[in-house]
Amino acid sequence: MMGFKKQLKEGLLTNNPVLSQLLGMCSAMAITTTLFNGIGMGLSVTIILICSNVVISALRKIIPDKIRIAAYIVVIAGFVTMVDLLLKAFVPALSESLGVFIPLIVVNCIILGRAEAFASKHGVLASAADGLTQGIGYTAAIVVMCIIREFLGSGTFGKGVLGADGVRILPEQYPALLVILPVGGFLTLGCLIALTQWVNRRLAEKEDKKEAAK
Amino acid sequence: MKNFKYILRLTLTLLLITAVVAGLLGLVNYLTEDKIAALTREKAESAMQEVLPAQNYEKIDHEKAGITEAYRADDKGYVVRVEESGFGGAIDMMVGVGTDGKVCGVSIISHSETASLGANCVREDFRAQFVGKDGALAVRKDGGEIEALTGATVTSRAVTAGVSLALEYVKEVG
Amino acid sequence: MSTFVLLFTISLNAILAENFILVKFLGICPFMGVSKKTDTAFGMGLAVIFVMGLASAATWLVNKYLLVSLGLEFMQTVVFILVIAALVQFVEMFLQKVLPALYQALGIYLPLITTNCAVLGVALLNIQNGYTFIESVIYGVTGGIGFTLAIVLFSSVRQRLEDCDCPKAFRGFPLALIAAGLLALSFMGFSGFKVFG
Repeated sequence: MMGFKKQLKEGLLTNNPVLSQLLGMCSAMAITTTLFNGIGMGLSVTIILICSNVVISALRKIIPDKIRIAAYIVVIAGFVTMVDLLLKAFVPALSESLGVFIPLIVVNCIILGRAEAFASKHGVLASAADGLTQGIGYTAAIVVMCIIREFLGSGTFGKGVLGADGVRILPEQYPALLVILPVGGFLTLGCLIALTQWVNRRLAEKEDKKEAAK
Repeated sequence: MKNFKYILRLTLTLLLITAVVAGLLGLVNYLTEDKIAALTREKAESAMQEVLPAQNYEKIDHEKAGITEAYRADDKGYVVRVEESGFGGAIDMMVGVGTDGKVCGVSIISHSETASLGANCVREDFRAQFVGKDGALAVRKDGGEIEALTGATVTSRAVTAGVSLALEYVKEVG
Repeated sequence: MSTFVLLFTISLNAILAENFILVKFLGICPFMGVSKKTDTAFGMGLAVIFVMGLASAATWLVNKYLLVSLGLEFMQTVVFILVIAALVQFVEMFLQKVLPALYQALGIYLPLITTNCAVLGVALLNIQNGYTFIESVIYGVTGGIGFTLAIVLFSSVRQRLEDCDCPKAFRGFPLALIAAGLLALSFMGFSGFKVFG
């Protein structure tokens, strides 16, 4: 259980897939315009990440080293397509608003990255936990981005989640449209990464002090 | 010989994995296929009902570029499905045109425009502008009378062009 | 619109108004990863142009003659990524044998391209936009040119960022992202212009 807690902390903060490993940035910037998108994308990626981590970890002794990347990609693409089809059938609104970014989860570096860096070297349970925690980290990162961009760019909160237009916080004429546009994606992510770096450094300094005190 | 065996092992493993994945996908597809098809059909039908309510929609053969489907709606007019490229991809819309050659409704079936900007093209107040118009339409910036969406001129132009195309088509048939 | 004008519009759009990196957010990973030096960025760009063009052609043919005729469109993603992976591998072997000089130059970037979302993205977008074979290839190649333009421009900005004085937390990656944001802002100026009406 201790292991899981540590993994969770890593996934959320010190080794967050988006904010410190800098993986999966395409989707993190492209779709983070409304809370609905962020939650949907985060959940989809988490589910795919857990499934692919479990399968790859289970097969890690069978798959020869030479073809491992090809094998991983097939497994991942399989899960992504399944999620894509299921979303189309049961949550059409989400599949429409995420568009081409659902099939593009295949090349989301987080999934292949975790398969290569973690699942191919650890047991099934640990890999599942890794998938879950990294997925939560990814979701947390993009949800934060969504909230910031939606608030600054459209002046609302929870568009699509709390009613079609969400809760309006800023009057309609004030929001900076720029934040919703691609530019805003780069700027928001840049600031968030800077914040993470700052927090992580503070945490590291604290640990150092503790060590020194001992 | 050893080398051959190794290659065989590589091939077989990969083949097996691919086969399993393909099999599973086939299964999921089988389970979701009907549902997706039904949803797509339902969407098109409800869009048709929205732009020009009628009992019967009779399909018309046509060869005009940009128009995906066209129907004669009882004797009330025509429903034309148009695809026009917007900012983020194709905008698929349904345009209803009355017998007087004027627009009686526009509905956006699917689009991939930017959220909060181009995506506002589905809003009622934007679409309502087209109702009762005829001839070649244009957004205000281009000298027309359609009020473009804030920050989404490209999308507004695309929708306007789509509606104009539908009008032009109906003029040719009707 | 004549074919030539249409192709020209597609090209101009792919390079400027709908730049793969700065507007469509496809291929951000290599954009950030290999943009520290201008010459490596240029090498990567060339490799991407090459692979995107080839991949557009290959996936278009596979989709039309294999998937659509067998009614297996739902396998698109899986098949496309395999085609791209195989293609990248093949290009690597081919270049090594026939054009060793080019292989030397592109060598290390080629394997990275498999997981470049711009490549899979262009393949999927070609189908989604209903492009013909020629349009797809043009879209692929010019999309690659747009990628190269963005990455080369960005790498020269980034070289200068290295020695600037900025808050500690922003050093490195965050600052690079903000610079990329400003670049994206300038590309916004291209959005929405139409050639030949």
